[in-house]
Amino acid sequence: MAQRSAVALSKGPRFQVSKGLLTVLVSTVVLFILSAVLAPTSVAPGPLGSMIPFAAILAIVGLGQMLVIQQAGIDLSVPGSVSLAAVIVSALPEMEDSRLVPAVIVALVAAVAIGLFNGFLIGFLKLNPIIATLGTNSLLFGFVMLITKGIPRMTTDLLLTVVSGSTVGIPNSVFIATAVLLTVIFVLRKTVPGRRFESIGASAPVAMMSGLRIKTHQAMAYVWAQVLYSIAGIMIAGVISEPNGSMGSAYLLPSVAVVVLGGTSLLGGRGLPTATVVAAVFLSQLDQFVLALGVNFAVRTLVQAAALAIGVAIYTVDWSRVRSFLRKFLSTTRRGEHQTSLPTA
Amino acid sequence: MIRRRNVVAALSAAAIAALLLAGCTSATDSGPDAAAGDRPDWCGPTEITMGLTDGFGGNNWRLVTTASAQDEIAKCSSVTELLYADGQGDTTKAISDINAMVAKGVKALVVFPDAGPAILPALRDAYAAGVVTVPYRVDAGGVAGEDFNLWVGGDFVTDGKNWGEWTKANFPDGANILFLSGPAGNSQGVDERTGFESVLGDGTGIYKYIGEQPFEVTNWDAALTQKVLTAAIAKYDQIDVIMSDFGPVMVSSLGEFTKSGRSIPALATSDGNILGCFYEDNVDANADFKLMTVATGNDHVRLAVQHAVALATGGVVPTATSFAGPVFEDSTSTDKPVQCNRDIDPWTFLSAQLSGEDQQALLGQ
Repeated sequence: MAQRSAVALSKGPRFQVSKGLLTVLVSTVVLFILSAVLAPTSVAPGPLGSMIPFAAILAIVGLGQMLVIQQAGIDLSVPGSVSLAAVIVSALPEMEDSRLVPAVIVALVAAVAIGLFNGFLIGFLKLNPIIATLGTNSLLFGFVMLITKGIPRMTTDLLLTVVSGSTVGIPNSVFIATAVLLTVIFVLRKTVPGRRFESIGASAPVAMMSGLRIKTHQAMAYVWAQVLYSIAGIMIAGVISEPNGSMGSAYLLPSVAVVVLGGTSLLGGRGLPTATVVAAVFLSQLDQFVLALGVNFAVRTLVQAAALAIGVAIYTVDWSRVRSFLRKFLSTTRRGEHQTSLPTA
Repeated sequence: MIRRRNVVAALSAAAIAALLLAGCTSATDSGPDAAAGDRPDWCGPTEITMGLTDGFGGNNWRLVTTASAQDEIAKCSSVTELLYADGQGDTTKAISDINAMVAKGVKALVVFPDAGPAILPALRDAYAAGVVTVPYRVDAGGVAGEDFNLWVGGDFVTDGKNWGEWTKANFPDGANILFLSGPAGNSQGVDERTGFESVLGDGTGIYKYIGEQPFEVTNWDAALTQKVLTAAIAKYDQIDVIMSDFGPVMVSSLGEFTKSGRSIPALATSDGNILGCFYEDNVDANADFKLMTVATGNDHVRLAVQHAVALATGGVVPTATSFAGPVFEDSTSTDKPVQCNRDIDPWTFLSAQLSGEDQQALLGQ
C-alpha cells in the first residue's frame, strides 16, 4: 500500500513528451521520409531554404494563436495584424536602414495597442471573440490601406539581411523562431504569471476560486498574441522584399491549424508550444511536398484540408469508443457469417 | 451594474459594426476638369453625369487605372460630374454600388466587374433602367444589347500570341516554358495560354510546357510565387522561358535562380517600373536573362470610357471593342528597350499613358 502511494506521488519523468508533440513529431518525420522518396526535389536545398523562413513565420503566428486558444478564445485578427506590421516596417523606413529600428518599435507598440483593444473587448466586455477580432481585423486592414494605398513598398536591406540571411549555415529565421519558442516556454512554465495563465486556461472556474485575476490574464493573451503576430509580420517584410497589404491573409487558417495539429484543445487548456512549432514545419513541408509532386492546385488544397481534418480527428475523436464499436460490429458480422454457414435442415 | 455592462458591451459592438460599415461605404465624387475647346469625337453634345465602379480598387494598378479613367473623362466637357465607387473586394457592395449609381441618375456607367457573372443582374438592371452600361476587362457573361450595351474585353489572347512569337524568335530550337498566372481557372490565364499555344503548339513539339497545366497558380501573390518558383527550380533542370501575366510580382522571387547557381531565364510578361529596373540591375550577372513585356493595360479603361461617353452623349462610337496591349519592352531589340525610371516609384507602370510623374503624385510619394 505504501509502495502504491509512493508510485502515485511520484513526479514522473523530468521531461514528458505530450501526445500532441509525439503525434506531430512522428507525422513530420514520416512526411519528410515520404517527401524524400516520392518528391525528392521537395527536400532539395533550394526548396528547403525557401520553406524554412515561411515555416518560422507560421510557427510564430501559431504560437500567438495558441496563447489565445488555450484561454478558450480565438483570434481572427491575424491577417490584419500580420499585414499591418509588414507594411509598417516596409513603408515607414522608406528603404533607409537607419529608420528600421524606429519602424520596428512602432510596429510592436501598435501590436500592444491592438492587443489591449481586443483584450478589453473580450476579457472585460465579454464580447464574443469571433465577432470582436473579426471587427478588429477589418479595422486593421483599414489602417493597412491608409498606410499603403494598396502599393507594396520595398523593404530595407538591413531587414532583408537579418531575416533572410544565414548564420553558420542556418537560416536566421530559425534562430528567431527558436528564440520566440524558448521565450514562450520559459514564460509559461517558469514564471508565476505564466503558470497562472496556464492554470486559468486549464480551468477558469477553479482559477477564479483560487483568487486569480481571470479577466486580466485572458485579456493579456490577446496582447502577447499580437506581439507575436507583429514579429511574424516584420519577418514577412524581410522574406518578401515588397510585401503588399494582404500578406497576412494566408495565415488565418494555418495559424489555427498548427495549434490544433499540435494538440492544443480548441476548448482551451494547456498550450503545447513545441508541438505547435513542429506542426508549423509539418504544414509548410506538406505545402512544399504537394507543390513538388506537381499535382494541381485543387488537389493541393484538398491535401491540406485532409491533414487538418485528420489532425483534429486524432485529438477529438474518442478512439476507445470507435474501437469498441468496431469490435462489436466485427463480432456481430462474424456471428452472422457462422449462422449463415450452418447447414439447413 | 449588469445593465451598465450590457449597455457598454452593446455600444462597443455597435461601434465595431459602425466601423465595419464605415469601411465599406466610400464612394467619392469628383468632377472632371474638361477643356471645352478641343473635345474628342467620342464626346458628344449631350451633358451627362457618369459613374465608374470598381470591384476592388485598393492597389497601385487600380489607382493608376482609375486615374487614367478620370484623365480620359476630363477630355469631355459634356460629362458634368463623375461618381466613383470602390467595391473593396466585396461582391455585395459592388452590386449595391451599381444600383446606387443608377439611383443617383447617372446616364453612363463603366464597370470593372471583378466578381464576374455575380455582377450580371446588377448590370442588367442598370441597362434596363436606361443607363449606358459598359463593363470592361473581366467577362461577366451576358449578351450585349440585352444585359448591357457592350463589353470592352481585354485581348489576352494577343498578349499570349506576342509572348509566343517572341519565344519562337529567341528560341527557334525549342524551349521549356513555365507559365505563371493568377487564381486557378482565371479566364485571363486561359486566354493567354490559347494565344501562345497558337504559336508554339500544344506542348508535344519542341516547345514544352512544364509545371502545373494550364498554368502554375500564384494568385498573383509574391509569397506564393516564390514558393512555386522555388519548387520549379528544384524540379526542372532547364527552364528557358517564364511567362507570367503579372511581371512585377516576380521580382522578389527571381533571386531564387541566383541562389541555385543558375541564370535568371528569359521572361515574357507584363511591364512594371520595378521589373525594368530589376532587369537593368541583373542582366550583366545573368547570361540567359532576356525580357519582353506587353503593356499591363492601365489604358484599357480609356476605351471603355470612350464607348460609354460616346453612347450617352451622342458622340462617335470607337470602332475597337477590345483592348490589345502592345509589346512595350523587348531587351533583344533596339526598338523597344527595357525602361527603368529610378526617380519615381518602382510600382508605377511606364506603359500607361498617364505620365510617370502623374502616377508618382497619385501614389503619394
